Amino acid sequence: MFTRYSTLLLLFSLLLSSCGKKSGSKSEDPRPGTAVVAIMGDVDNFNPVVSAELIASQVNDAIFPQMFDVKFATGEGRLVYGPMLVKSWEFLNGQKDIRLDLRGDVYWEDGVRVTAEDIKFSYGLYGNPEVSSPRQNYVRNMIWTNGKFDVDKSIEIINDSTLIFHFDHTYPTQLFHLNLPPIPKHIFQNADLRTLDSNPANARPLSAGPFRLEKWIRQQEIILARNPKCNLPYPAKLQRVILRVISEPVTRLTELKKGTIDMMWPINPEDVQDLQLNYPSIRIETMPPRVYEYVGWANIDFKAWNESGRKVVKPHPLFGNKRVRQALTYGINRQEIIDGFLGGYGQLATSDISPIFRWAYNFDLKPYPYNPEKARNLLAMAGWTDTDGDGILDHNGRKFEFTLRYNAGNARRAYAANIIQDNLKKLGIIVKIEAVEGVVFYEKIARKEYDAFLAGFSVGLAIDPSDRWGSDIRNPMNHAGFMNTRVDELIRYGQNVKSYLEAAPFWKELQAILHEEQPFTFLYWIEEIVGINNRLQNTKVGILGAMNEMWNWTIGSPQGSVVY
Amino acid sequence: MLLYIVKRVIAAIPLIFGLLTITFFIIRMAPGDPASLYLQGNVDPGIADRVRRNFGLDDPLPVQYVKWLKAMATGEFGVSFSKHRPVVDILADAIPNTLILTTLALFLNIALGVLIGTLSAVTRGSWVDNITTVLALFVYSIPEFWLALMLILGVSLHLDLLPAAQMHSPNADQLPAFAYILDLAKHLVLPVFVLGFASAAATGRYMRGSLLDVIKQDYIRTARAKGLPEWKVVGKHAMRNAMIPVITIVGLSLPFLLGGAVVVEAVFDWPGMGNVLLEAIFSRDYPVVIALTAVSGFMVVLGNLLADILYAVVDPRIRLE
Repeated sequence: MFTRYSTLLLLFSLLLSSCGKKSGSKSEDPRPGTAVVAIMGDVDNFNPVVSAELIASQVNDAIFPQMFDVKFATGEGRLVYGPMLVKSWEFLNGQKDIRLDLRGDVYWEDGVRVTAEDIKFSYGLYGNPEVSSPRQNYVRNMIWTNGKFDVDKSIEIINDSTLIFHFDHTYPTQLFHLNLPPIPKHIFQNADLRTLDSNPANARPLSAGPFRLEKWIRQQEIILARNPKCNLPYPAKLQRVILRVISEPVTRLTELKKGTIDMMWPINPEDVQDLQLNYPSIRIETMPPRVYEYVGWANIDFKAWNESGRKVVKPHPLFGNKRVRQALTYGINRQEIIDGFLGGYGQLATSDISPIFRWAYNFDLKPYPYNPEKARNLLAMAGWTDTDGDGILDHNGRKFEFTLRYNAGNARRAYAANIIQDNLKKLGIIVKIEAVEGVVFYEKIARKEYDAFLAGFSVGLAIDPSDRWGSDIRNPMNHAGFMNTRVDELIRYGQNVKSYLEAAPFWKELQAILHEEQPFTFLYWIEEIVGINNRLQNTKVGILGAMNEMWNWTIGSPQGSVVY
Repeated sequence: MLLYIVKRVIAAIPLIFGLLTITFFIIRMAPGDPASLYLQGNVDPGIADRVRRNFGLDDPLPVQYVKWLKAMATGEFGVSFSKHRPVVDILADAIPNTLILTTLALFLNIALGVLIGTLSAVTRGSWVDNITTVLALFVYSIPEFWLALMLILGVSLHLDLLPAAQMHSPNADQLPAFAYILDLAKHLVLPVFVLGFASAAATGRYMRGSLLDVIKQDYIRTARAKGLPEWKVVGKHAMRNAMIPVITIVGLSLPFLLGGAVVVEAVFDWPGMGNVLLEAIFSRDYPVVIALTAVSGFMVVLGNLLADILYAVVDPRIRLE
């Protein structure tokens, strides 16, 4: 009996003593040459053609050969392209064609050369409807025959290292659309296209980038190891970068504070002060605003539209009037939401073109101030007054009340919804708040079943207003059911010029229209907060993400695991 | 006995089948779109339709059901919508992780429960009994997620004794075997504690009540009268009979440990069935949800069966036929 107890005791004490070790040896780096990043969810696919999650494309960028060295020129506010796999390029035929000259010395991990064939093959997959690539849009301006992407007419191979892309017209973001990473043709050429997303080869990607996938323990971690053969641009400086899947926010933050992970995002603004005061080994960096939040208003009567089989288009009884929408924006104290929740990490929005795009952003537009008096006047002009003295605005016998919905579990939106409810109550508008489970919420928005909702949007790096504006109400992304023929024209003009600067006046006018019409009440731009342990250095947190240029990361002097 | 087990297993088949059919319809009729990931800016809206077609969701519900029945009959669980891999592979990854967690928790539950229940019963009415009673009630009332978060903050962050998340430390794959197991053990302590602790409080209460009933019996008086030491009276004669209700509880809590693991796995980011289920529900990954329901249903049946068999082991008067 005693021996059994003593064995147990011995095991227990062994466990405890080994627990203490970590904090005892502060000078010793617990994981030399390794950086650990916490990610919220697992990568869905290591095949860039079919991966749909944002995190997957960030990781795949470090594994697959990159066509261009893409940087964001903050001063100008636009993407600039340098040589990578593409050694040089030339615009031909009045910029409708682009010739790419590839480097001849880039190899996949298995020793096979990366050639023009890989690129043509991959673009064929990106554009093939059977594959259902989320990036099919990238080929939409190349050559199509009978409603199908024509890869042979779009891409002409001159030799192993030279190819010409043909477009049906010129536009400012042509190079952006040439930046999709190729996958190895010799691995996938016989793959069944309909099941490409579950092809077993996806889990063992062939690298030609600075990292290779060493190990993927699903739902747990992704171990990226330095690819010593890489010359695109060069092997990663770290031996390993481990991405740990930690979805619970409190747990993730605890791991950062403990020093078990070296980087995480997003950090809640309310946690920043604690980190700055009590954890000097952690630095705080931010990503410039690419995400905005808004209150979506039904510009047209969604109910009538849906019930008539998507035919009847008439103004929404509450939000169909521009003056009402303007009044709602005047009547919502957006700054109060920013001050209360985002602290210094938010700024008022005027439209959905981010201020990071300095060349296109309309600096003349001033955000609507919080002005309940003006709101009341505008509502009165639109016919909304309190005729029966019950404190609620009414018009033609209808009271001004509606339900504002947001996705459950989003603390920021819950906070904003409460302030909006409170603000509008002062105007005599009754707002009911309803939190809806996420998947249902987004589906109902896309189907135009919600008249008022709080949502957010992450804008792409190339300005493309056609994805959500324009008069096509059937587009599921046109959440407001907004229609404006001038906007249609502006989008067409902006997408048919040769250089980005020529598009600037069109995008500025587009913003002015959105500012005037207020199809949404644009609330604020959000800067995402990244926490980094100081042992991890040479990070380049920015518009291109927190893991941007991961191959340049290095490990500095190790820090103690816990600092109080 | 063997015949009995076979009979019970056969009887369970229609039960599980019915359960799966109900799940099949409920999840498909619930709002939410498995292709919602493809409904975002910059993605052609036609892609979502195509993805839905690939998932077989454009067929009418009865057709989907017949197709699903055929697949089930051949033991085919299908391919996960969101993870793009066979559901069987996903389960094969997650089940061992959950089992190691829940088996240890169940063990802790029984050991601790029987211990405090017995302690409480033999000292009935004393301050030891009162304190354990109050403590047990207190612990049983604590929500699991709260206890888990508090332990993460206290034991993991402030005392820095144990890790807060997942099964292994980063770079654990490079450790020698013994250190690797020790690393796993450290990661197990907190989740096992949370899972096992609260249920131990309940088990303890049952054990106490049951033992008190048994101690009043004549044969216990006889045992005492023939001069047996008290530990032998309680430990050998009383305990054996007092265990019967406890076994029922333990048998029934087998599936609950899998269910309860959803909360604990989510907080500790334990890569088990609970986390898989949570993610599958949120992404409307129908094949995964159905498969997990099948496993849970099977566990319920198994738990009940196990409890019945254990009765016979503990109490020779009970015979299974």
